Amino acid sequence: MATIAVPLGAQAEQQEAEAIRRPALSEYLRWSVDHKIIGVQYGVSSFLFFLIGGAMAMGIRLELWTPELDLMVSGAAYNSLFTIHGTIMIFLFIIPMWAAFGNFVVPLQLGAKDMAFPWLNAFAFWLIPPAAIVVLLGYFVSPAEAGWTSYPPLSTLFSGDGQTLWALGAHLLGISSIMGSINFIVTILNMRPPEMTIWRMPLLCWAVLATSIIAVMATPFLAGALTLLLLDRVAGTTFFDAAGGGDVLLWQNIFWFYSHPAVYIMVLPGMGVLSEVLSIHSRKPVFGYRMVGLSSMGIAFVGFTVWAHHMFTSLQPELRIPFMITTMIIAVPTGIKMFSWLGTIWGGKIRFTSAMLFALGFLSLFVIGGITGVMLAALPFDIHVHDTYFVVSHFHFVLFGGSVFAIYAALYHWFPKVTGRMMNERLGVIHFFFTYFGFLFTFFPMHIVGMLGMPRRVAVYAEGFQAWNQLISLSAFVLGFSTFIVVYNVIKSYYHGPIAGANPWRALTLEWQTTSPPPPTNFVDDPIPFEEPYGYGTEASAAYLDAVDEAFSRGAPNPASGH
Amino acid sequence: MSGERAMTSYLDRREKPKLARPSDADMRLKNNRLGMTIFQASWVMVFLALIVVNWQLRFSYKAWPPAGVAPFDPLLPSAATAALLLSSLLARRGLASLRSGRSSAFLMHWRGAMVLGIAFMSIIVYEFASVSEAAMATQYGLTMRLMTGFHFAHALAILAVMTHVYRKGGRGMYRGDEHDSWAVEGTAKLWYFVTLAWLLFYIVLYWIR
Repeated sequence: MATIAVPLGAQAEQQEAEAIRRPALSEYLRWSVDHKIIGVQYGVSSFLFFLIGGAMAMGIRLELWTPELDLMVSGAAYNSLFTIHGTIMIFLFIIPMWAAFGNFVVPLQLGAKDMAFPWLNAFAFWLIPPAAIVVLLGYFVSPAEAGWTSYPPLSTLFSGDGQTLWALGAHLLGISSIMGSINFIVTILNMRPPEMTIWRMPLLCWAVLATSIIAVMATPFLAGALTLLLLDRVAGTTFFDAAGGGDVLLWQNIFWFYSHPAVYIMVLPGMGVLSEVLSIHSRKPVFGYRMVGLSSMGIAFVGFTVWAHHMFTSLQPELRIPFMITTMIIAVPTGIKMFSWLGTIWGGKIRFTSAMLFALGFLSLFVIGGITGVMLAALPFDIHVHDTYFVVSHFHFVLFGGSVFAIYAALYHWFPKVTGRMMNERLGVIHFFFTYFGFLFTFFPMHIVGMLGMPRRVAVYAEGFQAWNQLISLSAFVLGFSTFIVVYNVIKSYYHGPIAGANPWRALTLEWQTTSPPPPTNFVDDPIPFEEPYGYGTEASAAYLDAVDEAFSRGAPNPASGH
Repeated sequence: MSGERAMTSYLDRREKPKLARPSDADMRLKNNRLGMTIFQASWVMVFLALIVVNWQLRFSYKAWPPAGVAPFDPLLPSAATAALLLSSLLARRGLASLRSGRSSAFLMHWRGAMVLGIAFMSIIVYEFASVSEAAMATQYGLTMRLMTGFHFAHALAILAVMTHVYRKGGRGMYRGDEHDSWAVEGTAKLWYFVTLAWLLFYIVLYWIR
């Protein structure tokens, strides 16, 4: 068992508890244009949706405990359950959760006072609650049952009115996502301090930039597809109905042209978080900084050319090979990142903090999800495991093993900056082990049942699969339980955690050059970035960090105690 | 660099004048312009998505327009397109007049742009209404109404913004300065966007058979 060493800021003991000036909790419940408030609003609301979606996953696993229907009254009820589970996790949890960290951290890392368009930022957030209400209402009125991908004709001719509400809600969420992303791009390109060239920008900003470029270019296709779906459902058009000259493949093309890049919207910010966390907690410069920044752009660009691999079984045969090739090319920029992370921690002075553990968890799990991705890109294999649990396993490895582990790493890493208090590390480690092994034993066996031929999206399955499914369900309950540990930790640490100080991890990027939490204008003075955002281990960086500490304990005005 | 020197140089730079930072007003204008460009690049993708829809649905039929359906007559839509292009040009000249301090010329050009915009929209409404029953039974008519209707909604919304700008301009709220006239510049850019989106649709709907 590794030794856990938690570095606290040099000035932590000197600071009194009342020196932390946090916004009143009521600030978070109303309209605010402060990016830090909006970041927390995004974060807390999407985490609530994570809990709801997670409870639904528990329901799914309970249903699959036996091969017959027991929890659900019908197969259709099961369909609507996994539909709403997927919709919540993707549209209401992961995508807005990255907007949470992007909002809170990016302007601070750039040394900016706020985002480029604060009002638009708040507006983008406040579209989410009504959208969520519309989507959830749909589930209780007459649920959508076509899966989160909503393929017609299932979503046009068969699904209930909830499908219409689903499409309306997704429309609003898409608009919110576009507005948020325009804001990120302008902020990152325009509002850096003049000393920070684009090649000295923290890698989270690179990742958010790449993500936002994908979001602004791809999400309009979702808007187009949803418009057609709504018209088909309520206005009697026949765009997806072959009887009226329409084409069901039209939906698949346009939907996946958005939704495959959306996979990178969900994981690229996590990759940015990983570069930050691995470098800071192993005290080493990022290995191959420029290539990591460029590989984010590479993934964003190539991500637009791969969508039809979701349609291998329905596509014109002559188009399959080109899409197989482009899909495999995605592994190149991803591999660059993978080796950069390994090179970064190699020979570093690793501190096994909770943030670091989750980052390492991401490394080990994402590599599995990535490799099964390459396996699925291979046409002969894909046709064999198409629509089986192998696919379910693959995308949970990238979206949970990837995105969610990165979200946890980011939470443990930036919680001190957001709240001014440290999280409990012992609970963090316990949380990590429950999550890691719960996750591994939930999703790894799905590869096996998938290859044995268990189809996905079914409530009733062959009896031979029951032992596997019980193992999976049992582990899923452990995974579900692990969430309560982090919820408890967050609440407890918010009130009673040790005081964090400005720079508890002794990091070089600018968000750690102001108090925790930062004052409303973020910085008292225009901050000056250190030459290299990850230049750890040099004498110059040690001196710089000492100077920052010095500035906060004595020299420079301390905004938190000043007013 | 030795440790001591790094520390002193860091503390020194806190006192020294830094690289020049742009003023808040300049930054706002720069942000607005870049934001508008990204919005245009992003939202034109919806129009491209609808072109993809039109293009893919053509493959459901052996011929386009489908057998038994008369092709749309491009005469009136071409006149509408010319009106819209001219309207965009006038909006541009209006902005230029404002920049050079001639506010009455600005209002005149802007009024012309709005009138031509309304002319364009009237023709489109007529075209939308006069799609034949036979065409509406096929994707030929359906996609035409989808695309023109979707475009019309945007044109209407931005025409409303132009009207707002015109009324504020009539009360002398804008001066020639770049910062003060951003509302006019932004609205003009939205109108160019409407024009470009229409040009794409016009070619796809009326000229590519």
